[in-house]
Amino acid sequence: MRNLFRIYLEKPELAGVALLVLLAAVFEAGSAGAFLSTDNLRGILGLLPEVGLVSIGVTILMICGEFDLSVGSTFALTPMATSLLIIAGVPALAAIVLGLLLAAAIGFANGFITLTFAIPSFIATLGMLFIVRSLTVVVSGGFPPLLPDDLTTGEFTQFVGPGGLFRASFIWFLAITFAASTLLAKSSVGNWIKATGGHLEAASAMGVPVRRVKLFCFMLCSVMAGFGGIIQVFRLHSPLPSIGDGLELQAVAAAVIGGTALSGGVGTVLGAVVGALLIRVIDNGLVMTQVDANWFKLAVGTLTIFAVVSNTWLRRTARRIKVAG
Amino acid sequence: MGTRSIASQVLSGVGVAALSFALAGPAAADDKLNIVYTHHSSASNPFWQAVKKGFDDACAKIQANCQMIFTQTEGSIDQEVANQQAALARKPDALITTLIDNNAFVANLKDAKAKGVIVIASNVDATGGPERELRQAFVGQNFVPAGMTLGRRMAALFPKEGPIRVLVGVNAPGQNWSEQRAKGIMSGLEEFKKANPNREVTIDRLDVSADGAIVSDRVGAYLSAHPDTTAYIETGLWHSNVARMLKDRSIPPGKILLGGFDLAPQVIEQMKSGYIQVEIDQQPYEQGFLPVMQVYLEKKVGLAPADIDSGEAVFTPEQADQLMGLAKQGLR
Repeated sequence: MRNLFRIYLEKPELAGVALLVLLAAVFEAGSAGAFLSTDNLRGILGLLPEVGLVSIGVTILMICGEFDLSVGSTFALTPMATSLLIIAGVPALAAIVLGLLLAAAIGFANGFITLTFAIPSFIATLGMLFIVRSLTVVVSGGFPPLLPDDLTTGEFTQFVGPGGLFRASFIWFLAITFAASTLLAKSSVGNWIKATGGHLEAASAMGVPVRRVKLFCFMLCSVMAGFGGIIQVFRLHSPLPSIGDGLELQAVAAAVIGGTALSGGVGTVLGAVVGALLIRVIDNGLVMTQVDANWFKLAVGTLTIFAVVSNTWLRRTARRIKVAG
Repeated sequence: MGTRSIASQVLSGVGVAALSFALAGPAAADDKLNIVYTHHSSASNPFWQAVKKGFDDACAKIQANCQMIFTQTEGSIDQEVANQQAALARKPDALITTLIDNNAFVANLKDAKAKGVIVIASNVDATGGPERELRQAFVGQNFVPAGMTLGRRMAALFPKEGPIRVLVGVNAPGQNWSEQRAKGIMSGLEEFKKANPNREVTIDRLDVSADGAIVSDRVGAYLSAHPDTTAYIETGLWHSNVARMLKDRSIPPGKILLGGFDLAPQVIEQMKSGYIQVEIDQQPYEQGFLPVMQVYLEKKVGLAPADIDSGEAVFTPEQADQLMGLAKQGLR
């Protein structure tokens, strides 16, 4: 038992994995075997890359000691701009790149305003949430445009893997998760991010370019959100201006469930992925087990709190055992 | 506070004022009607952009000063109340508004009456209580009968034999528009159940949310648990995402029947592909256009506003091409 807690202390996201396995077993039993069916796993794994990418971006930014509440709006504006460019005749690849550059510009604006005027990123990005959502409505004219029928999005949407279990977006997601995880865990930039979020003054005194590090994280966060939005719009073939509404809270919840500290400096990319997957599994599993419509949000909220509380308890217990040992 | 700081504050104040001026419409002229439309939806909802287009077109025709005020949060009653208060403080000639709650707007409507402001409910009416006495007319859809029509039309398409399982998707639990439509749908389906006592009919209700990706995921989960599902009927327009999910699962059009409310290009596209069988439209353009005309008639020639049922229009895939043209113009 003591060894298990030690392992947990080294890999805090493992608690989320354990909870994930437990919930999957409960939902599988409650749904008479339908939860782990191919069709249902396809549904969960189809949506996961979209919310997962946003969660990874938000997690890295939180580790750096900042928040971004505008990710839900960026999630909508980036694919809207990309779609409108495609409809206007711009090649899809160029439209995607231009869309992501727009997302990077939003991230830069978030960082520049936060750092230049020394205001909490919580407030700066809250303002940006409204600005970007409004711009989404303005550029679309309020009406959702129709993507061309002959637009090929197979690089993101086609089913791949054994039994067509995944979409191509899942491969993108895995590659980005691996790259982000390596960046955070094994590069000097990763160390700078953790140092900037954990001990800002000490990091600055040691020569870490904290302003540039934060600007990078803001831009990375927005680009991840924008890319997630593009994948979703290509999957649903529907660039609605309302997509991503409330996604910022889900991303923060995923980060915290995955062990990211709200105070900054602590967290992992894998934890963010596990957190996002847990939220999707809870949502999906409750449908499977036929929770009444009126009680649905209560059930989702209760399970989310349970996930965070159990994670926190495990971490404290593991630390106590380590200290005692 | 330094000189530069004061100067920067003054400049930023001037900037905000200039921005407000630039974003505001033309200054009110004395002889023009001032009409305000407050409702419960945010600007990112495409349905309300069609209402706004009708409202703006009507205002242009009678050269009125008009403003439609959206909420920041979808379905927020408190924000709509605050917007009504702000609008009434300017003493407009008319307030067009949605009454999504039977009690929340009573004080504002009394205030409007005291000030001589014409009040017309549009899109959503109060289901009872004093608000119905305080507004002069209602232009919109009666949700329960419209839901019942959808339930009945969908039931008419059910297989003639074997068990029936229907999922009713509630997009906004607790909100009048969604709950009343769901109530109507359930009533229509219950009629079918009573008329077929020897058949096994299961009707489930689910909070599917008002986010296309989540709707698709939750309905997908339900279908995984119940592959024998006959139909999915929704209170909103997000079932076009369900249609796409069915296509991804290689489920042919018509195997699981789909129906819902309101028209958007994405919905019409799925009607054309055969996945959506029945759609109820409430004519959002009319809900923006007609109340303005009623205000004009009351003010200019003394004709009192009257109730108009803008819709329980039933659409089927045969009309999809014609509808697509209107939807692209923002008229449907």
